[in-house]
Amino acid sequence: MMKKQRTGIIILETLMILVGIFFIYPVFLMFMNSFKTFGEVVSNVIALPKSLEIANYITVIEKMNYPRLFLNNLVITSIGIFGIVLFSSTAAYILDRRRSKYTRFMYVLIITPMLIPFQTIMITLLKTMSSLGLSGSVWGLGIQYWGFGIPMATFIFFNFMRTIPKDIDESALIDGASTIRTFFSIILPLLKTVTVTVIVLNVMWIWNDFLLPLLMVNRSPDTKTLVLSAYTFVGQFNTQWHYAMTAMVLAVLPSIIFFILLQRYIVEGVVAGAVKG
Amino acid sequence: MNMAKRSLTRDIETTLFALPAVILVSLMIYLPFLLSGYYSLTEWNGIDKEPVFIGLANFKRLFTGGDSFISSLVFTMKFTVLSMILVNVAAIALAVALVKKLRSANVLRSLFFIPYIISMTIVGFIWKFIFSQGFDNLYELTQLGFFDLSWLGDPNLAFYSVVFVGSWQSVGFYMVLYIAGLQSIPGEIMEAALVEGAGAWTKFFRITLPLLGSSITTCVLLSLINSLKVFDIILALTKGGPGGATYSVTLDIYREAFQNNNYGFGSAKSLMFFVLVLLLTQIVLRGFSRKEVEL
Repeated sequence: MMKKQRTGIIILETLMILVGIFFIYPVFLMFMNSFKTFGEVVSNVIALPKSLEIANYITVIEKMNYPRLFLNNLVITSIGIFGIVLFSSTAAYILDRRRSKYTRFMYVLIITPMLIPFQTIMITLLKTMSSLGLSGSVWGLGIQYWGFGIPMATFIFFNFMRTIPKDIDESALIDGASTIRTFFSIILPLLKTVTVTVIVLNVMWIWNDFLLPLLMVNRSPDTKTLVLSAYTFVGQFNTQWHYAMTAMVLAVLPSIIFFILLQRYIVEGVVAGAVKG
Repeated sequence: MNMAKRSLTRDIETTLFALPAVILVSLMIYLPFLLSGYYSLTEWNGIDKEPVFIGLANFKRLFTGGDSFISSLVFTMKFTVLSMILVNVAAIALAVALVKKLRSANVLRSLFFIPYIISMTIVGFIWKFIFSQGFDNLYELTQLGFFDLSWLGDPNLAFYSVVFVGSWQSVGFYMVLYIAGLQSIPGEIMEAALVEGAGAWTKFFRITLPLLGSSITTCVLLSLINSLKVFDIILALTKGGPGGATYSVTLDIYREAFQNNNYGFGSAKSLMFFVLVLLLTQIVLRGFSRKEVEL
């Protein structure tokens, strides 16, 4: 019986490793072909590169203006995350602690947009954001993510807030601390785990988002995001696959490094976000 | 401080804490949503100063005059049904295998999750490269007819290609959710089943699957919503072609508004899309949560 089980496990393990290799092979091919010369890519995609063609990277980094794109992504994501965390956590805190018809109404108002698909509002969004002066700039795009990120983040914060006993902040308030101070010095530190969840979910979304940046910041090369620029680049160089692959690798590399470094938080955050959201 | 004044400061405070969120959501979601409602009743190319009010004509046109909306709807529904089945079956299979005590379980879990963290646009390009370049070389190497087919050029095959690529990108995400679900099933239940001599299949269909109910509801719902909204992958992979074979509703809305400059008609389409997503999620949610088994 035991021996039979052991053999079963070994067969399963071998099978899963094979499936895993096939599964990830396309990503491997992308990396591999980014190190080949044009001739090598055209003659054989699956062969290993004869030598590492670093020149591809130098050319593409320069052509794409990679440092600029990276900075744009960083600014957009940071602004987005900052506002989403700040405004969602404060709203969730007050709406949970002061239950009334008024707060209930505001809560429903804030979370209902989770039901509205982005594509339903994108046409008029462009008009609205241009009139507000938020289209065409990196910081404007960052601010736009506040509106789109707040509903789900508030929902997640609100559900978590219920698990924090009210005595904690009530005693601080009785001691004369203001609500703002109580929130920032006592409640916010207790929200650490859920804040990590919110940050992880939103970083993954904002960093890789395509449609909103396409509508808002695609006009000038100075405001493009990584993914957007890779999209344009691959469109322009669609026969020069060695450059296209390099551009794609450069676009996904930050996400992959982010994932490898913070794997545990990312997987936990994704699970928590999906189950609650 | 008297009571009235105190309650007033409390109300002001409440408002101050929640107001930024309310204002931001209103400006970025409700306002455009209401404007979409208005524009859907007009004809407007975005350049003329004033949209022309035409009542429900846009909605009539959607369902009568051989518009691309109906065919994009048919594609999107087919795509959604097939993707939901494929991605959930594959994710459950992977999850069941990877909760077993395999030495490589952790590495494999990360491996299957990687496509999910890659931007969908890039995922589309990776597979475009593989279908158009890599398959030629794989055919030379293996002589398998499978690699010699035109996976993006043939309308029927292109449909399966986009379903496959979409599922490849997201299966790791659902797998992680199912793994979390499986780990929350108490070990005693499984042991009790073993003692009673249940075989592997009986155990899976009679015990594991029903107890996975809430995970299944979550995953089915999320895969439904995500499949209905499919956009980036198709834009990168096929641009809706060949011959409209992979033309999704979201792509249709995008084209109508930003390429044909029909803001009014595009808004009507976008509202129909909203109704569709809302209806389908409600139906699926009701259908699945009724079947869940409580522990």
